[in-house]
Amino acid sequence: MLNIEIDGKQLTVEPGTTIIDAADAAGIYIPRFCYHKKLSVAANCRMCLVQVEKAPKPMPACATPVTDGMKVMTRSETALKAQKAVMEFLLVNHPLDCPICDQGGECQLQDLAVGYGMGNSRYAEEKRVVLNKNIGPLISTDMTRCIHCTRCVRFGQEIAGIMEMGQIGRGEHSEITTFIESSIGSELSGNIIDLCPVGALTSKPFRYSARGWELTTRPSISPHDGLGANLAVETKNNRVFRVLPRDNEEINECWLSDKDRFAYEGLNSPERLQRPMVKRYGEWRECDWPEALEAVAGGLKRVRTENGDAQIGALASPHATVEELYLLQKLMHGIGSGNVDHRLRQSDFSADANLQGAPWLGMAIAELEKLDSVLVVGSTLRADHPLLAHRLRQAVKRGAQLNLINPVDDDLLCNVANKAIVAPDAMVQALDQVRRALAGSESSPESTVLSPEMPYGTQHSIALAIAASLRQGERKAVLLGNLAQHHPRYAELHALAQQVAELAGAKLGFLGEAANSVGACLAGAVPGNDGMNAGKMVEDPRRAYILLGVEAELDSYNPARILAALQSAQLVVALSPYKHHALDYAHVLLPVAPFSETSGTFVSTEGRAQSFSAAVKPLGETRPAWKVLRVLGNLMELPGFDYESSEQVRAEALHGDLSAKLNNQLKAPVAKPVGAAAGGLQRIGEVPMYHADSIVRRATALQKTAAAGMPAATMNGETLDRAGVAEGTDVIVRQGAGSVVLKAVRDDRLPNDCVRVPAGHPATAMLGGMLDEIVVGRAG
Amino acid sequence: MNKIKSFFSTFLLIELLKGMALTGRYMFARKITVQFPEERTPLSPRFRGLHAQRRYPNGEERCIACKLCEAACPALAITIESAQREDGTRRTTRYDIDLTKCIFCGYCEEACPVDAIVETRVFDYHGEKRGDLYYTKDMLLAVGDKHEAQIARDRAADAKYR
Amino acid sequence: MTDTITLLQGFFGFTWPVVSNLAKIFAIIVPLLLGVAYLTYAERKIIGYMQVRIGPNRVGPKGWLQPIADGLKLFMKEIVIPAGASKGVFLLAPLLALGPALAAWAVVPFGPELMVANIDASLLYVMAITSMGVYGIVLAGWASNSKYSFLGGMRAAAQIVSYELAMGFALVGVLLAAQSLNLVEIVNGQQGGMFNWYWLPLFPLFIVYLIAGVAETNRAPFDVVEGESEIVGFHVEYSGFAFAIFFLAEYANMILVATMTSLLFLGGWNPPIEVAPFTWIPGFFWLFAKACFILFLFLWFRATFPRYRYDQIMRLGWKVFIPVTLVWLMVVAAAMQTPYGYLFH
Repeated sequence: MLNIEIDGKQLTVEPGTTIIDAADAAGIYIPRFCYHKKLSVAANCRMCLVQVEKAPKPMPACATPVTDGMKVMTRSETALKAQKAVMEFLLVNHPLDCPICDQGGECQLQDLAVGYGMGNSRYAEEKRVVLNKNIGPLISTDMTRCIHCTRCVRFGQEIAGIMEMGQIGRGEHSEITTFIESSIGSELSGNIIDLCPVGALTSKPFRYSARGWELTTRPSISPHDGLGANLAVETKNNRVFRVLPRDNEEINECWLSDKDRFAYEGLNSPERLQRPMVKRYGEWRECDWPEALEAVAGGLKRVRTENGDAQIGALASPHATVEELYLLQKLMHGIGSGNVDHRLRQSDFSADANLQGAPWLGMAIAELEKLDSVLVVGSTLRADHPLLAHRLRQAVKRGAQLNLINPVDDDLLCNVANKAIVAPDAMVQALDQVRRALAGSESSPESTVLSPEMPYGTQHSIALAIAASLRQGERKAVLLGNLAQHHPRYAELHALAQQVAELAGAKLGFLGEAANSVGACLAGAVPGNDGMNAGKMVEDPRRAYILLGVEAELDSYNPARILAALQSAQLVVALSPYKHHALDYAHVLLPVAPFSETSGTFVSTEGRAQSFSAAVKPLGETRPAWKVLRVLGNLMELPGFDYESSEQVRAEALHGDLSAKLNNQLKAPVAKPVGAAAGGLQRIGEVPMYHADSIVRRATALQKTAAAGMPAATMNGETLDRAGVAEGTDVIVRQGAGSVVLKAVRDDRLPNDCVRVPAGHPATAMLGGMLDEIVVGRAG
Repeated sequence: MNKIKSFFSTFLLIELLKGMALTGRYMFARKITVQFPEERTPLSPRFRGLHAQRRYPNGEERCIACKLCEAACPALAITIESAQREDGTRRTTRYDIDLTKCIFCGYCEEACPVDAIVETRVFDYHGEKRGDLYYTKDMLLAVGDKHEAQIARDRAADAKYR
Repeated sequence: MTDTITLLQGFFGFTWPVVSNLAKIFAIIVPLLLGVAYLTYAERKIIGYMQVRIGPNRVGPKGWLQPIADGLKLFMKEIVIPAGASKGVFLLAPLLALGPALAAWAVVPFGPELMVANIDASLLYVMAITSMGVYGIVLAGWASNSKYSFLGGMRAAAQIVSYELAMGFALVGVLLAAQSLNLVEIVNGQQGGMFNWYWLPLFPLFIVYLIAGVAETNRAPFDVVEGESEIVGFHVEYSGFAFAIFFLAEYANMILVATMTSLLFLGGWNPPIEVAPFTWIPGFFWLFAKACFILFLFLWFRATFPRYRYDQIMRLGWKVFIPVTLVWLMVVAAAMQTPYGYLFH
């Protein structure tokens, strides 16, 4: 430990600490622009110059490590003179356009200029002008304002994993730019808005719409991926104007994925349902709540008496809150039907009986960064879990080995130690190979006796390498991604993964698909005793359905089949914030509040229950879903629906020790004999990043990004040739009765006999199962 | 002695008569009443009357929706909503001043970086219905258009003191 | 003149006394009410002038129609009767205030022969009738069923009663001097120019009477009773025409007090100097001029003095005026017994 003195304050700090860190810890503020606690030190803004005793010149506090006995003066005459001089230089070329700058009022340069700037400029020459760059629909640029702190450049290199922005030119001619004219494609790009200390990079959807001081900040929790990012929802006049991150080192640090940051536009979508709607004699019309709820209660009672309790099914979105899901299942159990499920995109439920608890990440999110070796099975990682991917990227940077068994080979922006890119069906074999490789020791002959059904010769060595990778290191994990959870042979993958994890001494984890995937299991939104799961409810259509936040054709494994089931139903009640496709099949539409307008709880994939309150009042006649379900319970004359607050519901739903209810282990992991891969083409139907839930689908700016583009039928060259279609032409893609014309795109990183056709998009909503067989033909 | 003096000056009503002499004198003084509206008192160029939104000589509105006036307003009388106009500039979509809340302190004028919101010499305006004194952007621009010459003269006269 | 009267007498026959008296009453009340109206106008103008303003000048030429407009406004306004008020008394009170103010005029002589009724003890009648005015005020404050009106009424009653005493004593001085209760005789006793008027020998009583008259009529600086904008008075619950009647009563009282002062101290209809050009002018105009002068003083006071505090009013009434009048009464009474008694006759 070193003893130093800053501004006369005696401090004891660890060796290697920089002056700025020591000062921050002691609560002494040193002005800075380029320094950021999460980024490397660049020391190029020079704003943090401080006087150090015995040093001939002022030293940059961010880049000067402390030495024993160092005396630092941050406010001495020399230091202030240096800081003021730096400020004058920074302002030489900075335009005086604060009144039209969106950063105005929350600008570091503006704030520090008040403290260190001069009243007048001595610079009479012409100021330089830098052309603005168009870097996509999310970030707007005013590059003349840039002070070249390079935070955005360093963020790209160090956090987002891709250096999309850089500095060119020297001296007065230096510019921050994308090297070639292009949009920023990173799924974390929005963070450079927060990082930019001036108004050079600002939010495009928010542009010119409000001032920081007008907005009321309310804490909230992200309703999108399983991370449970902490949000600061900023509102004005009962409207969400923007979303910023709230620092939480254990979850999102100070970052936010673009999905979390920009999806708020969906909350203000014109598609919002504002009044209950009832379909009478084939006509939709708006009505008031009592009428709509009476219609629902009456309809459900009729189905109960005419067709029996079990003819009612409830399908919920895993983006709904714990309270809503709990009340939904309570309603269903009260009715006497166990048909509740939230796993609409899951296709294989055969492991349900063996589940011992709610599948979760198996560790804390921050632990991901400390892993030594990890095997990720079936995940479009960056799209599904942008910040979990970031954590893994940091782990890899630290020296961890990332192994993949995946049907797609999207760039993870980091080194992947070993990857087995196989057709979805072959993932099971590939995982089995790893299991076998691990089961025998290096010397054991068993390890070499690999499955004879191996379709690809290369897999042998990859499986061995993955096994070897999982053997080394101390902290290891096997993670099952969304594609694995949606997989038609999910049970086998789960069982194999569990065995692999056991053999390797690794933790088994699930990358939670949605904000409340874990919470839904804890709240009991899974089939009860002799209840039907989501798959069964679709296969064996019910007479009545209650849909909670579900857009059936976009949120389910097999849109064609679920639509058929819903269309044949006698009563479909859709609780949704939006007026969506349910108009075609539902009979009652009830407007329920999205996360920003209701209180609730999400249990993140690491099993952390985070409650939040409403940020704004419900729009129009929208009501929080938990209240709607409570009243519905009362109308159905069920006992125990007399809650006065969502906290009461939460207390009932999440009582006791949550961690005890989280369990990834199957009771009897039977490694079933692994069958041969099915013939024909197989669809790889992942859910695109910006179509994963109902809010983000309506976020206009996100929908303009490349990642939200029109789905295509992507195949490798060989598969294209075999299908007889050329790259870039239209192809007809068929699954069952549904077909759609898409553009054929070539991607040689895909395995053979696979067609990548994203699901969850309106354009592909008439197709069948996400990972089922598919037929590709020439269009026309 | 003083006591006796003051007793007599009170008792003999001398103080009161002095007062009456004063008011009596003033009865014949020249009257200072200004016969508004036929006569008007001179106004300073800094007079803070009815608000106006100004335009540039080319017809472009000056306001850039920086919202500093809204922030400066101590009576919270100004309501602004802003958006990007098609040409990419920052503009207000709503600029309302509730004159019934306004205290005519002139802070908005002072805060404005582009001299867009100004207070004119107009003070004899009225409203007949509730809400008539809720001035919207169009009304404010119309006031500005009508009095632009005077407004410009006033700004010019005051420029060297600002 | 006498011919027309005989003609009318013949025409009305035995109803003539009623008709003639009614005509006399009208002949007094109509000008009186007009006088009240223009007194308000004069008040606003004079106070305006003293405050270097010009007063009302918009309604009609030079604002001459202003009192008409004011009256019309008050007449058109709704009379709001408070829910808890005693309705009959509430409406009766203004009439009780106005009635005495008008009734006193029955014995007021405008000339040696010009009056409704010449009764022997007309001074006593005036004192008796004007004392009734306080009833209207007390009832108004009480019938409103509001604590503010009630307190205002109490205050007003206390004030009026206090000053009534001083006023009465002042009149005793006049009585001693004139040795009659008849107003005509009192005036006749003052013949022979302004130095024969009673104001000179009875100067302290004249001042006391004048000031007490101001207090009696609740005028500034003794206007705590109403204090239009600052203090709530007995008539806070009154509006419209009912309020207008209180207003009328106050101004009619002012004119009455001014006329009485002229009659008792300023020689009534006698000209100030009994020489040729002055004696040609009819006596009525002298009385009118004197009353106008007193009224002008009233307005001048209002324009000059700040309002007395309530305890100051009481102190002035009881501890200054009554002793002063008592002392001067003794002086007068004693002097009457001396050879210099003629000085007071």
